[in-house]
Amino acid sequence: MSLARTLKATPTLFRVGFAGAIAYRAELFVWMLSTTMPFVMLALFSAVAAERPLGRYDQRELALYFLATFLVRQLTGSWAAWEINFEVRQGTLSTRLLRPVHPLYAYAVDNLAAIPLRMVLVGPVFIGTLLHFGVAWLPSSAALWAALFAAVLGGWLITFLINAAIGSLALYMESSVKLIDLYLVGFFVFSGYTIPVDLFPSWLSALGDVLPFRYQIALPVEVLTSAHGEGELSRLLLQQWGMVALLLTVTLALWSRAVRRYGAFGG
Amino acid sequence: MSRYVRLLYHQLRASVLLSAQYRADFLIDAAIEVLWAGLAVVPLLIVFGQRSDVAGWTFGEALLVTGFFTLLQGVLEGAINPSLTAVVEHVRKGTLDFVLLKPADAQFLVSTARFSPWRAINVVTAAVIFSFAFRHIGAPPTAGGLLLAAASLLAAVTILYSLWILTVSASFYVVKVDNLTYLFSSIFDAARWPASVFRGGLRVLFTVVIPLAAMTTYPAEALLGRLSWQNAAIAMGMTVGLAVVSRLVWVRSLSRYTSAGG
Amino acid sequence: MITVRDLRKHYRVHKRPPGLWAALRSVVSRTYETVPAVDGISFELAEGERVGFLGPNGAGKTTTLKVLSGLLHPTSGEVRVHGHEPRRRDDGFLREIMLVTGQKQQLLWDLPPADTFDLNRAVYDVPRADFKRTVDELVDLLELSDLIGKPTRQLSLGERMKCELAAALIHRPRVLFLDEPTLGLDVNMQTVVRGFIRTYNERHGATLLLTSHYMDDVAALCPRVIVIDKGVLSYDGSLEELSRRVRPEKHVVLRFSRAVDAADLDGLGEIVSREPASVTLSVAPGAVTDVVSRALARLPVEDLTVQSPPLEEIMSELFSRSRAEREPPA
Repeated sequence: MSLARTLKATPTLFRVGFAGAIAYRAELFVWMLSTTMPFVMLALFSAVAAERPLGRYDQRELALYFLATFLVRQLTGSWAAWEINFEVRQGTLSTRLLRPVHPLYAYAVDNLAAIPLRMVLVGPVFIGTLLHFGVAWLPSSAALWAALFAAVLGGWLITFLINAAIGSLALYMESSVKLIDLYLVGFFVFSGYTIPVDLFPSWLSALGDVLPFRYQIALPVEVLTSAHGEGELSRLLLQQWGMVALLLTVTLALWSRAVRRYGAFGG
Repeated sequence: MSRYVRLLYHQLRASVLLSAQYRADFLIDAAIEVLWAGLAVVPLLIVFGQRSDVAGWTFGEALLVTGFFTLLQGVLEGAINPSLTAVVEHVRKGTLDFVLLKPADAQFLVSTARFSPWRAINVVTAAVIFSFAFRHIGAPPTAGGLLLAAASLLAAVTILYSLWILTVSASFYVVKVDNLTYLFSSIFDAARWPASVFRGGLRVLFTVVIPLAAMTTYPAEALLGRLSWQNAAIAMGMTVGLAVVSRLVWVRSLSRYTSAGG
Repeated sequence: MITVRDLRKHYRVHKRPPGLWAALRSVVSRTYETVPAVDGISFELAEGERVGFLGPNGAGKTTTLKVLSGLLHPTSGEVRVHGHEPRRRDDGFLREIMLVTGQKQQLLWDLPPADTFDLNRAVYDVPRADFKRTVDELVDLLELSDLIGKPTRQLSLGERMKCELAAALIHRPRVLFLDEPTLGLDVNMQTVVRGFIRTYNERHGATLLLTSHYMDDVAALCPRVIVIDKGVLSYDGSLEELSRRVRPEKHVVLRFSRAVDAADLDGLGEIVSREPASVTLSVAPGAVTDVVSRALARLPVEDLTVQSPPLEEIMSELFSRSRAEREPPA
């Protein structure tokens, strides 16, 4: 499909995706309820930091960190791996393959189209955070806001691409739902979603730096809470987008191979 | 009764046959299990790397909670979630009628519809965690503690099962909710931690509304010989109460389902 | 123009004997078996043709349709659809074809069909004016005006199939593959769908390849039929010729003014069915005049018709025969 035509089709894809998100609002709401783990982790770490700060985190820092984590998770969500698995099982993936638009692009737009609806939950939490903690903790310059946008977008891309890669594998092995679980283990340990990565012992954080997870949640959260100086920030952003480029290459290759194999075995 | 035992055997057997179809799954399941157990320990290591005790729990004691959590997670992922997924699918596709046509208690059939036998591996993981915990604590549990812990574990499984039946009943009302399993697991995840770390609203939520405390913290306290009689009594009361309530709700929503004509 | 030359599609499937032990052993080692779903078939379709694709379950019809629409890759052989090689799934190809199946749907389940139409407009880059004209025509022909605003899940099976067809035609495909499009529909709806497919073919000159279990679909739509069985082509030609070859005998139906004894019917021909005052006889084509004149001479015949056996009967005989002999009839 030519790029120009794909771009031309995008607003409609987005509109239909948004209509779909509205139709599935109950599901989306339950899904969002199941992403409230940061609040549990906040309770745990607050108990730990009750008497004196944990690393650089006192009670206030911890609260900001986990609130930011919750917000970033809402904005960088993707469920393409489940969707592809479901469609492979139902045999409806064929419908997508018959259309002259790259299926991964359609999944991506679908995921993005749900974000406006997620704002219904993100907005109040964000406003509540501002009311309680003021605005001093937010990025202080236009450049930092731009960095935040880049970090969130990069985080979403990594999440989506990993989902798409796992989804591609569903075309190989009937179901790759187990792989989603495996991915989630890495995500929960290394992404900063449950533990701030700077609390890791150094060997663990060195490992985390070369894995994709830390760039999904921790980096955008750190940018949002202004945790890094300029040099460190640009280094991490560069690494994040390097990860995006790597995953994009791998996922596209995997997908086209998987579709070829799907054609050989049928579905 | 013996008919139900035989039925259970056949449902289990079918599940084993089914899971043997997917050999990659077994290895991945085992790997995930080890990793999840590791995951549960990472925050503990980090937290206890900085403090010797948190909210009244030492590292070894907190490990006991993790051990019970691992056991219950095995029950949840091995026996409960697979059949929940099956039921939600039945309701959506309207094939639950076939289950209801069979001459046995519908709740029994639905609860035993599908198992993930590989999840038995959680028992091994939990055993490793327990032995590690007691090495750390330095003293083995007493016989009385073991007995009380076994009783509280039984209560914990009953609570988990009752909560699950309530969730399934909800799926009759809100058909489209596929994510119930994830919601269920993500709430249950908070049971990883001793209940005393939670304060305020969360504490009320996790001891009374969704009694996570009774599921992992009380059995661990029983094993340590410090479960108060008061808490034990509350846990027992809650168990019986939830079991009764869930059965009533189940019967009600089932009759609503059948009268609505599917 | 569609060309299929010596197409083969073989699947490799995992075989396991029943039982718990075998299941556990298959975790370690498994055996595979090659199943030839399509085993060397060739045919050509001219543009604008309507062709019925027949065969028993598992004959390889759906596999062939999926190969033709690029979803499955042939094991060997050559396939060309309007000059495109389907397996490459290039843009130009995808714009020219559509596959509609009675079992799987493209309509978005929780949204009204109108949303799927609009999605397809964007995806196929159909100019808005053309889109409007096409939708108006489809809504008119299929009487969709009350349906396209309701969420798909609230539509009946027949209504859904009508919308499904409409969604498939938004981009005016020149080749339409239809896999059991009338599956599960009531007779009335079958007629509507059938009539619509025919109209689309006649108005836009689209090529149709259709599989169906309902012989009425095929009889109404397809001057030409292709029969495959066990992955092998066993007939390609007109429907009349096929029935002549498989069941050359005619059915002679006699109705009498009063009840007739079985003995009086002796020697007229094989009795297919009999009631006191009527009988259906199976008669070799050359003997029809003879049988009719003898019946008129000695029986109180009130009414008389000569017909070919029903198509369903012809098909079931064709399939059971070819299964028994494992060779093409005729």
